Amino acid sequence: MRRRQYSPHHGTLSRFDRNARPAAGRFTYIGSGELGGKAHGLARVQGVLDAKLRDAFAPAITVAIPALTVITTDFFDAFMKQNGLKEVAYSESRDDVIAHAFQRASLPVQLVGDLRAIVEKTHLPLAVRSSSLLEDAMFEPFASVYGTKMVPNNQPDADSRFRGLADAIKYVYASTFFRSARNYMKATHHSTMDEKMAVIVQEVVGTRFGDRYYPHISGVLRSYNFYPVSHAQPEEGIVELALGLGRTIVDEGVSWAFSPAYPRIAPPFKSTQAMLKNSQTRFWAVNMGKPPAYDPICETEYMVTADLGDAEFDGALPLIASTYRPENDSVRIGIGEKGPRVIDFGPILKADMLPLTELLLQLKDVCEDMLDTMVEVEFAVRLARDGGAPAEFGFLQVRPMVVSDATVDIDPEELVGDGVLLSAETALGNGVLDDIRDVVYVRPDRFDIMRTSEVPDELERVNAALVEARRPYLLIGFGRWGTTDPLGGIPANFGQISGAKVIVESSLPNLPFVLSQGSHFFHNVTSFRILYFCVRHDEERGIDWPWLERQPVRFAGELVRHVQLSSPLRVKVDGRTGRGVVLHD
Amino acid sequence: MADKSFNAFEMAQAQFDHVADMLKLDEGTRSLLRFNLREYHMSIPVRMDDGSVKVFRGFRVQHNDARGPAKGGIRFHPAETIDTVRALAMWMTWKTAVVDIPLGGGKGGVVCDPHHLSMREQEQICRGWVRNLARDVGPLRDVPAPDVMTSPQHMLWMLDEFETIRGERLPGFITGKPVGMGGSLGRTEATGYGVVFTIREALKELNIPASDTTMSVQGFGNVSQYAIELYQQVWGKVICVSSWDQADQTSYAFRKKNGVDLQELRSITDRFGGIDKAKAKELGYEVLPGDAWIEQDVDVLMPGALENQITAANVKRISNRVKIIAEGANGPTTPDADKVIKERGIFLIPDFLANAGGVTCSYFEQVQCNMNYFWEKDEVLGKLDTKMTSAFAAVSELAKKRKVYMRDAAYLIAIGRVAQACKERGWA
Repeated sequence: MRRRQYSPHHGTLSRFDRNARPAAGRFTYIGSGELGGKAHGLARVQGVLDAKLRDAFAPAITVAIPALTVITTDFFDAFMKQNGLKEVAYSESRDDVIAHAFQRASLPVQLVGDLRAIVEKTHLPLAVRSSSLLEDAMFEPFASVYGTKMVPNNQPDADSRFRGLADAIKYVYASTFFRSARNYMKATHHSTMDEKMAVIVQEVVGTRFGDRYYPHISGVLRSYNFYPVSHAQPEEGIVELALGLGRTIVDEGVSWAFSPAYPRIAPPFKSTQAMLKNSQTRFWAVNMGKPPAYDPICETEYMVTADLGDAEFDGALPLIASTYRPENDSVRIGIGEKGPRVIDFGPILKADMLPLTELLLQLKDVCEDMLDTMVEVEFAVRLARDGGAPAEFGFLQVRPMVVSDATVDIDPEELVGDGVLLSAETALGNGVLDDIRDVVYVRPDRFDIMRTSEVPDELERVNAALVEARRPYLLIGFGRWGTTDPLGGIPANFGQISGAKVIVESSLPNLPFVLSQGSHFFHNVTSFRILYFCVRHDEERGIDWPWLERQPVRFAGELVRHVQLSSPLRVKVDGRTGRGVVLHD
Repeated sequence: MADKSFNAFEMAQAQFDHVADMLKLDEGTRSLLRFNLREYHMSIPVRMDDGSVKVFRGFRVQHNDARGPAKGGIRFHPAETIDTVRALAMWMTWKTAVVDIPLGGGKGGVVCDPHHLSMREQEQICRGWVRNLARDVGPLRDVPAPDVMTSPQHMLWMLDEFETIRGERLPGFITGKPVGMGGSLGRTEATGYGVVFTIREALKELNIPASDTTMSVQGFGNVSQYAIELYQQVWGKVICVSSWDQADQTSYAFRKKNGVDLQELRSITDRFGGIDKAKAKELGYEVLPGDAWIEQDVDVLMPGALENQITAANVKRISNRVKIIAEGANGPTTPDADKVIKERGIFLIPDFLANAGGVTCSYFEQVQCNMNYFWEKDEVLGKLDTKMTSAFAAVSELAKKRKVYMRDAAYLIAIGRVAQACKERGWA
């Protein structure tokens, strides 16, 4: 694990000054501890961004890190110590119990005056994000492991805004010890004791539309594409875009994905109808309206979802949507005519109304050069309302992306025949595993689409035992893993299945799920080098269920079974072809 | 302890006269502000535990309430004098004004020595004091608070007596109550923390990196203990602390050059802030004469207990290294010593600004009591920091603008505000 000690001489950071006005690109810190992984990444990239990209696409787009202040890790230590929180934090208590205990605690006195100054200086919504020490580790990027909380920061009364910010910081601190984080730690063989949390308080990039505040575009750029379409190459990367806050992409896996080298090539939907069905229909925004019921332990306390009709009412769609034309089953760029809207960013990607892809290509090079590795970048874009002002590209996060470079060859003939437990033409990752002796699977004979919400609890118990025993396992389930829609698959979070080294999602004859292809856990999947298989029931190969049923059972729950094999499986995935196979003796 | 010849009220008046000249205050306003608006003297008979009756002398002075109800502590001290109380009441007026809270200034006291009184006897003094004054104090007239040798328990007895007499619940009558009984979170720490907030701002002003600074402190009561706590949490070392020794009737300074350990000292300290010198020696502290705290080679000096501690006699012993004097106590510097400090260019944070954290938090407590809604500790301390920092900034800005001493600048702001309120009310 790499840890970087913060040095005040590093980068262009400055100590938080209550008298200075917040401005894009203004990167300040409070405290004398460490910045944590996320903030450190931003600190490193700030100078390069300013030098190479800030005005490179002016007047169309300006590039900057939105104004932010980092609360360094020493405050986390002081908060824990001064409030005696270790006992509850390191207990096996429920998340809400931990969160409540943290909410009751007081922030260190050295911090609170500066927090009041922050809320008094800005009335823009604030994103309160984790920036943990272990996030700095190369192969463990902790995507979505810890909480991020948005606060509207728009109440007229500074006391209310202060409370919102203080509660959000305590929530992020508490999330260090939530169950999913604890499971994650076990899976990565770290101790929660090693972890310390810095917190980023950052202005949210976006525009206020009545009671909603959101960016027109949120996005993730990755250097490497495991699913290149058409003539795009994996090394050319992939971009995922969505309307509204980035939660849509990161947590829900809904986005418009494309290669920045070929932005006009649409994602590989089978038909226009399929594209309509699978593209974004709802989006996340910060709730600027009537305050919700007080619930400081809810991550989405101040967030709302809205549908595309709301976005069109807001006037947010002209550059990011196209229109479906039923008369000829086609999609027309823009919203110039009536019809269902499709969030495909057509006016930008296909009609070149904003040089976003050129910017993303350069950004990819700049970040790769700087970190000397493949990268994953999160960003948000605020488009100008009147068309005259430049769009603002807010750079939110950069982290290394791990891509295996081992060459694995799988012939098509290997995918079928004796000894094949399962295989797929759509597998994610790259590499060979020879140490899997455990298989955990959702029982096909008991599977009930109405009971998918019960599956994660059983899985969590099996996962915890296997993680404790340090036994990596193969996991098989039906539908999308990690979906928030229980009718769409298994609504597990990553912490509940964190010990799986191979994850399989399958459809069923009576339930032709749309598979996620790992998008829900995409970053964790790639960073942990998890191999991910999508097996369609209607393909020739499928899964050899009879063989699995014959294996010695270690646990047979109501909906989940765990079998332990006498000899290890051999798991192979060829990242270049996307082919994968699991072989048994 | 105060020198017999020292008259705090004369000193307070001299300070006022000096600023009144600078402000060119008219004669009427001068006359009004040079003296108290009201002054109460009382005798409090108490049946002692041995069956005898002893009469204690008590005072309450309301210096000025043009900007809001009078506000000020109650001191229990055997050497209490009416002049000290008068001076402190006047300083309270300036203090509430300099931090710009809607209160005036008052002070009270009882001549007694709690060291030699049982808790029952002290309770009777508290109740007797309130019985004498119940018609003349209250949440909208005069709001007392703890001070030297009085505690939240004393405040609660006083509140109970007041509410019994008035026949209603009036928690805003008095501040410094126990948390859970109408007290505010953060009140205990407020004065000491407030001093450190102003030291922090002064260090910024002087462009001195705070991380390596050291401090020497006079007194080890509530103010000093919390000032040391925050100072050490935030930056550097406190290397010397003095405290009063009840048995020897003198004070001692306790020095550890690599930094005193606050928890360690607290563990050998009695409830009045007296450090056990034998145990301190065992723990490796040098035990020095009480006034040795002033000659330490440190960046910051903080007199944090009683008035009249930096005098013409000892001011020359202040080390050349000292950059800041933060007056945690009320009136610790005599005018003669003040001149020397000014001439030497030491940055002085005057008492009624530096130690205004207590009254500011008392004001927060009163607000919370009056609306019966209590805030979280971080909210209280966040507001305190904001108030103290703003007050410091205003004083410092004026000092620079008019090229005057910090004490004068603070007085100019405070007296100016009170004088203006008096004029607007038609009092002067």
